[in-house]
Amino acid sequence: MPTPTSNLPENEGPSPDGQSRRSFLRSAVAASGLAALAASLAPLRHLNDFPSLEQFLQKYYKELTPEEMAKVLKRIEDEVEQQYGLRPQVRDLKPMNGVEFVYALNLTRCIGCRKCVHACVAENNESRNPEIQYIRVVRLPHGSLDLDKAEHNYNPELVPEKGYFYMPVQCQQCKNPPCVKVCPVHATWQDADGITVIDYDWCIGCRYCAAACPYWARHFNFTKPTIPKERLNPDMAYLGNRPRRQGVMEKCHFCVQRTRVGRYPACVEVCPVGARKFGNILDPESEVSYILRTKRVFVQLKEELGTSPRFFYYFDV
Amino acid sequence: MRQAVRNYLVFLSRSGRLAFVGDWRYYAWMGVLTVFCLLGLNAYARQFAHGLIVTGMSDEVSWGVYIANFTFLVGVAAAAVMMVIPVYIYNNEELHDLVIFGELLAVAAILMCLAFVTVDLGRPDRFWHLIPGIGQFNFPASMLSWDVLVLNGYLLLNVHICGYLLYCRYRGQTPGKWFYIPFVFIAIVWAVSIHTVTAFLYVGLGGRPFWNSAIVGPRFLASAFTAGPALIILAMQVVRRVTASAPAGDAARLRGERGASQTPRSRSAALGDLDLLARHLAELASVPPETRRNILAGAMVLEAKAGDVLLRQGETDKESFFVLKGRVVVQREEGGRFRVTRSLGPGEQFGEISALAGTPRTGTAIAEEPSLILSLPADSLRKLMATPRMNKIIRSRMSERLLITDRALMTLRSIVQVSMLINVFLLANEVFKEFYSGNLHVASSKYLFLGLHGHHALVPWIWTAIVFNLVAMVLLVLPVSRSLKWLNLTCVLCIVGIWIEKGMGLVIPGFIPTPLGDLVEYRPSLNETLVCFGIWAFGLLCYTVFLRMSVPILQGRLSKANEQ
Repeated sequence: MPTPTSNLPENEGPSPDGQSRRSFLRSAVAASGLAALAASLAPLRHLNDFPSLEQFLQKYYKELTPEEMAKVLKRIEDEVEQQYGLRPQVRDLKPMNGVEFVYALNLTRCIGCRKCVHACVAENNESRNPEIQYIRVVRLPHGSLDLDKAEHNYNPELVPEKGYFYMPVQCQQCKNPPCVKVCPVHATWQDADGITVIDYDWCIGCRYCAAACPYWARHFNFTKPTIPKERLNPDMAYLGNRPRRQGVMEKCHFCVQRTRVGRYPACVEVCPVGARKFGNILDPESEVSYILRTKRVFVQLKEELGTSPRFFYYFDV
Repeated sequence: MRQAVRNYLVFLSRSGRLAFVGDWRYYAWMGVLTVFCLLGLNAYARQFAHGLIVTGMSDEVSWGVYIANFTFLVGVAAAAVMMVIPVYIYNNEELHDLVIFGELLAVAAILMCLAFVTVDLGRPDRFWHLIPGIGQFNFPASMLSWDVLVLNGYLLLNVHICGYLLYCRYRGQTPGKWFYIPFVFIAIVWAVSIHTVTAFLYVGLGGRPFWNSAIVGPRFLASAFTAGPALIILAMQVVRRVTASAPAGDAARLRGERGASQTPRSRSAALGDLDLLARHLAELASVPPETRRNILAGAMVLEAKAGDVLLRQGETDKESFFVLKGRVVVQREEGGRFRVTRSLGPGEQFGEISALAGTPRTGTAIAEEPSLILSLPADSLRKLMATPRMNKIIRSRMSERLLITDRALMTLRSIVQVSMLINVFLLANEVFKEFYSGNLHVASSKYLFLGLHGHHALVPWIWTAIVFNLVAMVLLVLPVSRSLKWLNLTCVLCIVGIWIEKGMGLVIPGFIPTPLGDLVEYRPSLNETLVCFGIWAFGLLCYTVFLRMSVPILQGRLSKANEQ
């Protein structure tokens, strides 16, 4: 096999000198090639989120036996403790029987203070840098629900402003969720209580669900999330607020770590004007059942898309 | 069985070794590509460690140039069928040998596609979740799972077809029709499916009105069948130049060395000369007398003395030759040395490749003893090849079987021409619908074409694409693009125009503004750009290696017969 320099006259003929020069050149080319390869892979030294073999081989959520699940939960607790110096409690909470959660938000009352946004970040261990927030509050001019007129960068110090109303948008927990349909690996699904959840340990990070979501509810961990140690919420659920890894999707899950044990979501509790209502639509006595029964007008955002949100906007008058 | 495996391994290792052999231009080209590959790998290693934050993507614009390139390249891969259809359905002979190059391009394009989706993943370590049976495959609900199936299926189909045909050529066997013709037809349907499925990735998203349009699928096919064959036109000329040319200086130098006196005497050919040829070439009997008379127009008989030069390496003339009597050697100059490549007796032919393809002569033919040579103009040769038996014998004898004719390129030109007209028409339809109705969903189109609320990063790009497409369309319609120089310019305009239009111009505006009306622009980062260059270099590297291995097999220079 000729080497790159076989056109040179000294490489002609089978002289022992030519042979050794040729093999020397060949090994020099091979060695410098390997060195260049190694150099180009050098940034992998900064790898800070490499999966352990156990994490790499972890089975799909729905295929884990209770024993395997217990092991996984313990492993997650160990990992969190190691990283944040705080032992959390991570639970695998299943939907409750006879419960379907529905959210109702009073647009007449909302003043756009964004307290819900920050309560959500704190409750759900959302990354502070880069910033991930499940709730986006937009300001709209009176009289229009056209989101192309939405102002995302209004100043929450100045609210409420004359001539505007405020609309918080988060995951609408659709009955026909486009995000679930498009996920190529079943990493996201709708549970019996109507909450669309994500298995953060199964998501491959293709972001197809983010493209599919009409409500911009899905948020991606473009790098390893950072949460201050002293701010970590140690009350965690596997499908809920446990710390996420780099490269996976997350979104509002109606605070499963709270709502599946009978508490309100953090955003409902924090709202200073009582604009946020949450409850079980299957229970005719619940507040949300009453609202949907009695209000003459309520709005499902982008109803024409057929996603059928479990999130309703309503008005006092 | 064991012997078969051994044979196959020998074939693989022999053709694989070819990838490391070449002249300095080959090494320079491969070296440059390797450097780009390594730069891309370096950039990807950085992304692997730090996450997709090193790209320009964000929650607002969550897909970028990776998916844009992916979309473009699926089209290039699908376009390989535009070579297959004329050959296998309409029996277009001139495109025959190009089919393999088209399919090898498809293989390289699919490899690039797979690389582009892989680098786009947030957790590439979890790729196995996508493997049906092992992971959780959301089929048939997710269009992405369809894409995984059709892309990998298309890769296997093309690898099988190319690999089988090349291996048969290597062994000197006639390919068994049942081993590849059914797959060829499956591949034709499959090619349409890979691009339709990729269009459905976007079309199926109700929440993104810019994509949620039935015309995206047809537009994808039209633009693919424009850009794909355009790329093949350019690639084939490179292949032709690299494999079939001799340096221009050689002819002059040869003439200088040997003197110009040794040109043989010639006279017009007569029917009797054809009878003489028929004695050595039985297939000639199948040519009807009328055709025989026709081909005599411009035909000459050369009465050569020993040492007379019949044709010279590097020259471009349009005759092909049959030996009527005597013996002719063909020699080739390589790196200052002469090598006899063939020795021909009565009934045998030479010079037909250059005659048909218009390429420079690849060798010099010299009469070894006093000989009679029939010289036919290219047109007469084509007439002769119109009868099936002559066609078969001439084709099977083509010593260098690689035939890239200008006619084949012109067939591709007409494919590009029609596709570009349809592509521009469909684009106009889309633009009309968006702007004339003027509903609330026009925001993304406004952003793309005119800019929105002071944001207009894509405006110069899309107008460049539109100008390129329109200029290319006009050039394609005009006869001027029959000249290769203009055709090449047109092809470059098509490729660049469509890359912008359906890559950046389709993927990015779908995200702008966001479903909540927020306007955040996207600009690929340097790191992201380096990864893209790396993958393109990798694809070109693969395609170069594929060609490096397949051309000698098609030419018959690498075959089982010359195994040692």
